[in-house]
Amino acid sequence: MKAIALATLKEAVRKKTFAVMTLVSALYLALWALLLNFFKGSIPADDMSMGFASVILAQMGLQFSSMILCLLTIMLSSGSIASELETGMVHSIISRPLRRFEYVLGKFLGLLSLTLAYAAAVYAILMLIGSLFFLNSITSISATQFFKGLALYVLVPAVILCPTIYGSVSLRAVPNGLLMIFLYILGNIGGMVEMIGRLIGSDPVESSGIFLSLVSPFHTIFSSAERTLLPSSGIVGEMMSGANGLSGSGKPASAWMFLYIAVYAVGFLTLAIRKFSRKDIN
Amino acid sequence: MLIEAEGLSKIYYGKVAVESVDLAVQKGQVYGFLGPNGAGKSTCIKMLTGLVFPTAGKATVLGRPLGDAKAREKMGYLPELFRFQEWMTGTDLLDFHSSLYRLKKDPARNKRVLERVGLLGQEKFKVGTYSKGMQQRLGIACALLPDPELLLLDEPTSALDPVGRKLVRDIILSLQREGTTVFLNSHLLSEVEAVCNGITIISKGVVVKSGSMSDILQEKVSLSIKCSNISESVYSILKNRFDASIKPQGSDGELFLKLNSKDEVPDIAELLAASSVRIFELTPRHETLESVFLKVVDKEADA
Repeated sequence: MKAIALATLKEAVRKKTFAVMTLVSALYLALWALLLNFFKGSIPADDMSMGFASVILAQMGLQFSSMILCLLTIMLSSGSIASELETGMVHSIISRPLRRFEYVLGKFLGLLSLTLAYAAAVYAILMLIGSLFFLNSITSISATQFFKGLALYVLVPAVILCPTIYGSVSLRAVPNGLLMIFLYILGNIGGMVEMIGRLIGSDPVESSGIFLSLVSPFHTIFSSAERTLLPSSGIVGEMMSGANGLSGSGKPASAWMFLYIAVYAVGFLTLAIRKFSRKDIN
Repeated sequence: MLIEAEGLSKIYYGKVAVESVDLAVQKGQVYGFLGPNGAGKSTCIKMLTGLVFPTAGKATVLGRPLGDAKAREKMGYLPELFRFQEWMTGTDLLDFHSSLYRLKKDPARNKRVLERVGLLGQEKFKVGTYSKGMQQRLGIACALLPDPELLLLDEPTSALDPVGRKLVRDIILSLQREGTTVFLNSHLLSEVEAVCNGITIISKGVVVKSGSMSDILQEKVSLSIKCSNISESVYSILKNRFDASIKPQGSDGELFLKLNSKDEVPDIAELLAASSVRIFELTPRHETLESVFLKVVDKEADA
């Protein structure tokens, strides 16, 4: 399993996708730093506007970087098993004294370690940039908030990895990637629908949003990270809801929701192992 | 028995790929597994290596049931569609496969297997820069890492030039001398004939011929006789008993007889000598594997 995990990690880092997405992340972080620099002198001095703008800017940094991370995770992992099945590379691996679950778990752990390290690095750079430009929504974060926020922020791509690995066992790389991107977008839509339902006081609409968040809980995890780091983001989100659909934060996720997310992730991974263990490798 | 299969079958979505295949491969044998394209050879090998699950039947490999990871510790396998991580160097790939075999990194072992497949000195280059033939030889090197008791080779010379083929043939023969059992799936019948001592021929998923190479090739022996001065009476005896070809005219005439066994040759020589026939050459000819193969496969196709 260790050999598979290490080879997967090394292979993923060598991929052009990784290089391109690293460049995109760097460009986005640079652009965000430039925006902070620009806004530093332009934000009105009154407390309310300052607080409002500061939260929006921090949300922007977290939200788009998280989106890039999820896309990177999907692009690197959607073909991780599928492409080896398609090319036949898996033949010389599975015929060694390796149990099939070790192969799937090795792939998962290799990609998970890369995803976690990458997400943690992006998070740290975001916080550093925010602090350097005195973004008070960032500079006011406590150590507990920082680490809790980090755990939730890196959890988003880690959870999306699980259904993507299942898809990689079941589908070809490209359809799996497209399906996972759709699933990710569905989670964002779920958050927005839930919020709209609450705003208009419609239970069926709110329930539809909750259902979509159960199918795709990634945005719920991200919203929790956002709420942990920026407690006023919910209020800002609701104020912005008429004009901006991006935030779309619902209620903060409950402990039961996190239990569901754990079952969701482990469930998909178990399904991937089960499916691969019964698969004829032709 | 290193491989023992009984009634091994595989059905894909209602289509029979392999039907009731029996196999018995003894320790130290080089066993040829032959059949035309689509006969089910690769499916059988994949069932033996645990890649494909049989629909019916049972089998043991190295004394363990199919799919047992423990059996694969002493089993080497080169797949037909070999494809390796192109970004790895030859050494990286050998180290990777060593760890899959739960072996520690060992440069001496790497050197030994590379030397055996004629790739020593190439190991520092990336696999992506290797030719197809070099990659195939590197695949054989990976399969040799655990000093296998059983080596399964699926078309091991498909990408090799004549020199490479000779090298693989020599590797197989040296492995046989060391007591390794080799299960060889190849289209190159002359190659199989040169190295194998047991064969199974399958066609349309069914075993159509199986046995030791010597038994299969000696089933029919023909005798070529270059002679002169053959009388009508002797010719008619030969024609009746051995289905002799047309009577030769002159000293360089050639007669062909169909024998049931090589043991009949001395009797024929005695008969010819006693009848004052002048014999210039007496050559027993065995059937080639190609002729046996074509015969049984054609018969199956006609059926």
